[in-house]
Amino acid sequence: MLIKIQLFIGALSIILLIITFELIRKEKLREEYSLLWLFTGAVILVFSIWPEYFLSRFFSQITGIFYLSAVVLLAFMFLLLIVFHFSVVISKLTDLNKELAQRHALLELEFREFKNCHPQSKNPLNQNG
Amino acid sequence: MENKQKILVIIPAFNEEGSVGKVVKEVKEHLPQIDILVVNDGSSDPTSEKAKEAGAVVLDLPFNLGIGGAMQAGYKYAFEKGYEIAIQVDGDGQHDPKEIPKLLRALEEKEVDMVIGTRFIGDSEFKSSMMRRVGISIFSRVISLIVGQKITDPTSGFRAVNRKAIQLFAFDYPQDYPEPEVFVLLYKCGLKVAEVPIGMSKRYAGESSITKLRSIYYMVKVLLAIFVDCFKKHSF
Repeated sequence: MLIKIQLFIGALSIILLIITFELIRKEKLREEYSLLWLFTGAVILVFSIWPEYFLSRFFSQITGIFYLSAVVLLAFMFLLLIVFHFSVVISKLTDLNKELAQRHALLELEFREFKNCHPQSKNPLNQNG
Repeated sequence: MENKQKILVIIPAFNEEGSVGKVVKEVKEHLPQIDILVVNDGSSDPTSEKAKEAGAVVLDLPFNLGIGGAMQAGYKYAFEKGYEIAIQVDGDGQHDPKEIPKLLRALEEKEVDMVIGTRFIGDSEFKSSMMRRVGISIFSRVISLIVGQKITDPTSGFRAVNRKAIQLFAFDYPQDYPEPEVFVLLYKCGLKVAEVPIGMSKRYAGESSITKLRSIYYMVKVLLAIFVDCFKKHSF
């Protein structure tokens, strides 16, 4: 029973690692975020290769829970960490987005006023015409 | 004295085509020497056109940022153009532009950084629903306790600030519920606040952004935001 779960989780972590590598190679995933996923994949892999040392004996003994439950708990903790990380990233992006929108509006107003002051000058956006 | 200072009226407007033109014209009528900036917060109706027709300078945000983001954009404009005083007047017409000189006088005489027009004290005859009154009085107590000064009407959006506060707001302005939250910000940065009683007129068009059913939810969120503000770091 244990070996089946080991194989399944081991394969899962290898797939996760391969996908992460592939996405970094294609520059679809920023290194900043990929580190967390690589780390997650590596940890799951280690757990699936040596479950006795890391989980059955050590973790299970101190927490009193079985291997599968321990894996589920760990996976949940990792997901929590990742989701939390994303909340921080989204908050930062929202703030940057706001700054960008305000700057855009201020520049647009400046540009409109400049155009009104110099009606003769060509619009630099369609100079080719 | 007022004529020599550079003063800007900032009117945040989100889908206020029915009232924004009228507000701009009224401000112009009473205070012809003052510049007017309408911040169009990504309206889907012709708010921007109506404001331009009425003769205001219009700052068009590319999408809706909410009142906090819109007002901050206005303060950034005021800061960059070197205005000495900025006055916030709501775009729905609930604030009477005739009361602006009162705010300006108080800003100068009381030597504070922000003056708010309060609807409850003195000769004001502001009437509102029970729920709103209860909510405002709770905010008032909490904020007064935090800043150590009586603030009667912390939700009033009718306010005048000096250059020092404009500079602060251009870089750091609360986003979610700016009217009540701003008192904590000013207190933590050591800026002073005063209140003056003002008369209110009814809203020209549109509904209050706070409906009866949502007011409790709103209250909890604002109190939470104020609580969080107490622990925020501000560099000024």
